Amino acid sequence: MIDTFLKSLETGSGFWNPLVLGLAIIIALLLIYIIRGFGKKDYKKGTEQTKAFLSGNPEYSKDEMHIKGKNLYWGFTQALKSVYNVLEKMHNGNTSDYVLWFVIIIGALFIIIGVI
Amino acid sequence: MVNMAGFSLEFLLLVVGTIGLALFGIFFGLIYKGIDRKLSAHMQGRIGPPIRQPFRDVVKLFTKENIVPDNAIAWVFNWAPIIGLVGTISILLYLPIGSINPIANTSGDLIIVLYLLMIPSLAMVIGGFASGSIYATVGAQREMATMIAYEFPFAIIIVTIAWILKTINIEATNVFSLSFIAANPLWGNLGILGFIGFIILLLVLVIVTPAELSKIPFDSPEAETEIAGGLLAEYSGRNLGIFYLTDAVKTVVMASIIVALFFPYNISGFFGLNNIPAIAVDFVFYLIKVLFVILFSVTLIRVAIARLKIDQIVGIYWLWITLLGLVGLICIMWDYQMMLRYEFYKPIFSILGLQ
Repeated sequence: MIDTFLKSLETGSGFWNPLVLGLAIIIALLLIYIIRGFGKKDYKKGTEQTKAFLSGNPEYSKDEMHIKGKNLYWGFTQALKSVYNVLEKMHNGNTSDYVLWFVIIIGALFIIIGVI
Repeated sequence: MVNMAGFSLEFLLLVVGTIGLALFGIFFGLIYKGIDRKLSAHMQGRIGPPIRQPFRDVVKLFTKENIVPDNAIAWVFNWAPIIGLVGTISILLYLPIGSINPIANTSGDLIIVLYLLMIPSLAMVIGGFASGSIYATVGAQREMATMIAYEFPFAIIIVTIAWILKTINIEATNVFSLSFIAANPLWGNLGILGFIGFIILLLVLVIVTPAELSKIPFDSPEAETEIAGGLLAEYSGRNLGIFYLTDAVKTVVMASIIVALFFPYNISGFFGLNNIPAIAVDFVFYLIKVLFVILFSVTLIRVAIARLKIDQIVGIYWLWITLLGLVGLICIMWDYQMMLRYEFYKPIFSILGLQ
């Protein structure tokens, strides 16, 4: 019963057992929680020290200081600018252009499949 | 009843093993951190802190106030460091330590390690977003971009190693298992082209390691001089201490992965040792291998190169390092085809008279 319950999931190449991982995580969690308990818990609430560090700059309202989710991919869009520029030009909202791309790619796929 | 006894024994091994590995990872992680700091200081012409300094740092952080900013989401902010450290420790269960097989040997493979490696980075990202600070948010966004960037070349390495192992050992069903990879070192089974390809893949993993560990030149998510510590800007006291420990354990984890994939050799056989002396000698040899990996992939790189911008990091990983990884992959595939077709094309070790 336990053997079946604790059996690893196998795909033929890879395998893993979520229960063993789950148990290990619980054990490690307890250990780290205990270690963390040795640390100092308190701090001075409602004082200067609980304000966000902004290098001495004034703190504006939350709406003004919000960083948009779009910035998450800034590193990507900047690094792959040449690719994004082409893709943005292709993304022009014209349906007939999209159909044309669809036909071209289907044609290219047929050629590749035919050759191979 | 027999199964019940077996289960109890395995459960006990899991409990003792997890606690033992956690303490091992923390202790040696901090020692390696100390050695890294000392060596990098000497490379820069400084005396540097004593090797035990990281232990003092942790003790000091644990005595400091654990400030939770007003803007922060307190429970997420407090739990993120714990989740990060727990995730990192759980990876140690799947890694061979010297000649000791992983505790969870039959319960997970390299794919799960690849997933688990994301947990500490994600914990830092979540902690950064929960900090309610602009610096931390910018740092978290950069960490996300860095993480997406280096996962791709890392995956290429893993797939290449699994592919060549499966090609050589057609019957094997566990080619992603780290104990199987460690028991079947590839260097001796590759021809000249494959040998070069494997060196390229090693180089790729050495370059991926500093990004995994948020070390210079890939430390833009923290960037003290620019965004005041980034994701860790608002962390202090024991929470920062736990992140410090996570970094230490993750260094051991990454170095152990490189050792298991590329340098799994042991020396106990060379001295004709068995049982406990063999395990002890192999363990010491493993610690030395880990030290050398850290020296080359962390210390040397961070001393020699300046910090890169986030778009440069993405550009380097997605264009150059991925291309380099693919070149390594193609070399190994060609090598195998040539060995298959031409009898004169022998593994490089037999040409050198080593096998």
